[in-house]
Amino acid sequence: MSNATTAYFEDFPEESKVIHSAFWSSFIALTIGGLFGLIQALHRTDVFRFMDSADYYTVLTAHGVLLALTFTIFFLVGLFTWATTTSLDRGMVDLRFTWGWYGLMVLGTILAAVPILAGFTDSIDMSASVLFTFYAPLEGHPLFYVGLVLFVVGSWLAGVDWFRTWWAWKQDNPDERIPLPTFMVLTTTLMWYLATLGVAIAILAFILPWTLGLVDGINPLLTRTLFWFFGHPVVYFWLLPAYMMWYIMLPKFAGGKLFSDPLARVVFVLFLILSVPTGIHHQYLDPGIAEGFKFIAMTNTMFLLLPSLLTAFTVVASMEHGARQRGGTGYLGWLKALPWRDPVFTGMSLAGLMFAAAGFSGMINAGMNINYLVHNTFWVVGHFHLTVGTAVALTFMAASYWFIPQLTGKRLWNRSVALIQVLVWFIGMTFMSNAMHRGGLFSIPRRTAEPQYEEFAFEAGVGSVAELNLQVALGGTLLFLSLVLFLANMVVTVMGDRADSGSIPANTYAGTLSGSEDAPLILDNLKLWTTIAVVLVVFAYTLPILSVIQDGGLFGYEINGFPVSIAPFLPAELPASLETVTAALPEIEVIP
Amino acid sequence: MNIHTYEKAWLIAAMLLIVGFIATITYGSIGLGIAMVDDEGGSIDPNEVFDHEEFSDPGVQQVGEDEYEVYVRAQTFTFVPSPIEVPAGSEVTFHVTSPDVIHGFSVVGTNVNTMVIPGEISTMTVEFDEPGEYGLVCNEYCGPQHHEMSGQLIVTPEEEFDLTELSAEAPDEVATGEEIEVTATVTNGQLEDLDTTVTAEIGDVTLEEDVTVAGDGSEEVTFVVDSSDLGEGDHDWTVTVDDYEESGQVTVGTDESDENDDTTDTEDDNE
Repeated sequence: MSNATTAYFEDFPEESKVIHSAFWSSFIALTIGGLFGLIQALHRTDVFRFMDSADYYTVLTAHGVLLALTFTIFFLVGLFTWATTTSLDRGMVDLRFTWGWYGLMVLGTILAAVPILAGFTDSIDMSASVLFTFYAPLEGHPLFYVGLVLFVVGSWLAGVDWFRTWWAWKQDNPDERIPLPTFMVLTTTLMWYLATLGVAIAILAFILPWTLGLVDGINPLLTRTLFWFFGHPVVYFWLLPAYMMWYIMLPKFAGGKLFSDPLARVVFVLFLILSVPTGIHHQYLDPGIAEGFKFIAMTNTMFLLLPSLLTAFTVVASMEHGARQRGGTGYLGWLKALPWRDPVFTGMSLAGLMFAAAGFSGMINAGMNINYLVHNTFWVVGHFHLTVGTAVALTFMAASYWFIPQLTGKRLWNRSVALIQVLVWFIGMTFMSNAMHRGGLFSIPRRTAEPQYEEFAFEAGVGSVAELNLQVALGGTLLFLSLVLFLANMVVTVMGDRADSGSIPANTYAGTLSGSEDAPLILDNLKLWTTIAVVLVVFAYTLPILSVIQDGGLFGYEINGFPVSIAPFLPAELPASLETVTAALPEIEVIP
Repeated sequence: MNIHTYEKAWLIAAMLLIVGFIATITYGSIGLGIAMVDDEGGSIDPNEVFDHEEFSDPGVQQVGEDEYEVYVRAQTFTFVPSPIEVPAGSEVTFHVTSPDVIHGFSVVGTNVNTMVIPGEISTMTVEFDEPGEYGLVCNEYCGPQHHEMSGQLIVTPEEEFDLTELSAEAPDEVATGEEIEVTATVTNGQLEDLDTTVTAEIGDVTLEEDVTVAGDGSEEVTFVVDSSDLGEGDHDWTVTVDDYEESGQVTVGTDESDENDDTTDTEDDNE
């Protein structure tokens, strides 16, 4: 209902509360995760350190889990609930169910966070410093995996919620096209269901039983392959909500309309069918997977460039349309007519610009044999700080400046601070990401606590390693400063008084130049696209997984978890320990 | 579906770009022969790594003219062996595996890079054009001391490279008048015969012997000196072959109470 005249909280007061809660869960994860990011940026560059390098990996685990999963997905579920209700113009079917999945996600986060944070202290016999990729045979406390599972199940139920709301709408509107925002929600959700199968199987069938001692063995390559089955599409689960913002909000803030609704649908369909059969591109350098399978994954990955390139066109064309509506002229002169003082617009545009840069480094990553140069180096860290760390995070933060007033009826505390915030993020990330990319080219690894090693020194071809480290530390500090500004703005905004009725802008999204009437009906055939997606996954994964199982066995080799200090308190272990006790008994002689 | 003309052009350009990328990579594979790490290394039970024929005592082997195999164990938190020495300009095939968790094996400043996964053997063949010293780094998180997991790879000029090993054996003490026997064992790990000279300095006596050590074989050379020529007291001895040196000390004297025949064994690999 792009012609609403009222703000979201006025139309959907109850949904507003759920979404607002989800956003704050997201912000809390962002705050803690961001603080840990700052600690890492200063520690690994040796600019300022206060902890042992061994603890670095506990910080890194929390940083990865809280930002890559918690921050992004909590924001997504809030955003998608907004998009569904707004574009269908109806509330969720059953709000108790909605609160239910939100609660489950919160519970999952807490359960996963407890063992991670317990890793900082020896007084609690728990840890999960396994990073967010938790490659077995590294072993975290079972609670960590249980928490992850509950969190993902919560997101599955959220998907059910959006679907049933759409089905209810379809009963009342049998002949209408799926509104574009809902279409985006549904395709993304289907992609998520397919993608999370991998991680669900990895945890439930293999890692958790092994951690609990129910099975003795694990096949590290199998669980790693299942992780990346999920691990690549999860990046689109972060990214697609940002894409949604660029398609349905950015054109509006630019003062115009979305260039093409049909192509937006094509883009989301392409993401649905191509996101999952690409995960093996994270395993280009893995032994035990034949080159042919890697080539297939690469081809699929390269074709995934297409929806992103199409998005680049559509977003820029929509911005130009908006600028011309605002009186902009000339080949590039129209750029000056855009509302650069609006933090929402500027934040999203800068995020999009950074994403273009990320696309280029991503093409290098995707190049199968070029990947040798950058695999597991600092380059990769630079890459995903441009994607999830900017394209996604900055878009979400910029969008929050519009959403929080929509959800609460309170006016944004300070637009100038907001504008400075998005600019500082952009500048900070430019320093940090650029230095990380360069460092990666000199083989500086990712995921390490130390800037240099004892037996050799990294040497920069251009500049020096010290200069790169300084840029990373400076960039990380600016990013944290930006984060503080964001939070301050959010906190002061929600603590303020409600604005006068009618003073919050209406809850609308962008109209279209070429609308859904131009989109072939087949685009809305979700069953067809899901089937194609499944078929492609079967093609890309059946043979590699079978060969991995054939080589290493379904339950692999008897391997003890690492670190071995985690003592699972288990019934399965009990008989063994009882035996030890009884075996010791006869030796105790009773002295008369 | 109506698509704007500019958008059509963009779409076509995008497709060309994608096809171009795939073509570039394919050229790298087929034209330049950059093979991916794949499943040819086979699998291995991580519990058997320390009993494995090659991985129990990993190192460099020559398998053909200008062809070498290097077995490496990546384990928490070290590479075995390290440093690894290989010749420039030869085909070097690395076989790397892990007995514990997932590691990385990356030669710093080059594109030699692979994952090391327990249960699998990573195999990659490379050629180093230039001699030099490279760092080895584990680039996958493997535990709390991950940042200590590094090593060295030394690429030696082809003509200076060998796989010679020298060990020597001599008594610690002899009675005055007895003979001192110093036995040197020269092992040649390369396929070609090794013509060289073994030199022994025992006290102020210098002895030399030319030997030919067959490819993948070893030779023993024994040097004998009469202890009376050296006189009573402590005498240093040194055995050298090419750049390798072993040394020890022998005491000529009369300690009646000690009848045992202590000997000193020394052994040194390529280092």
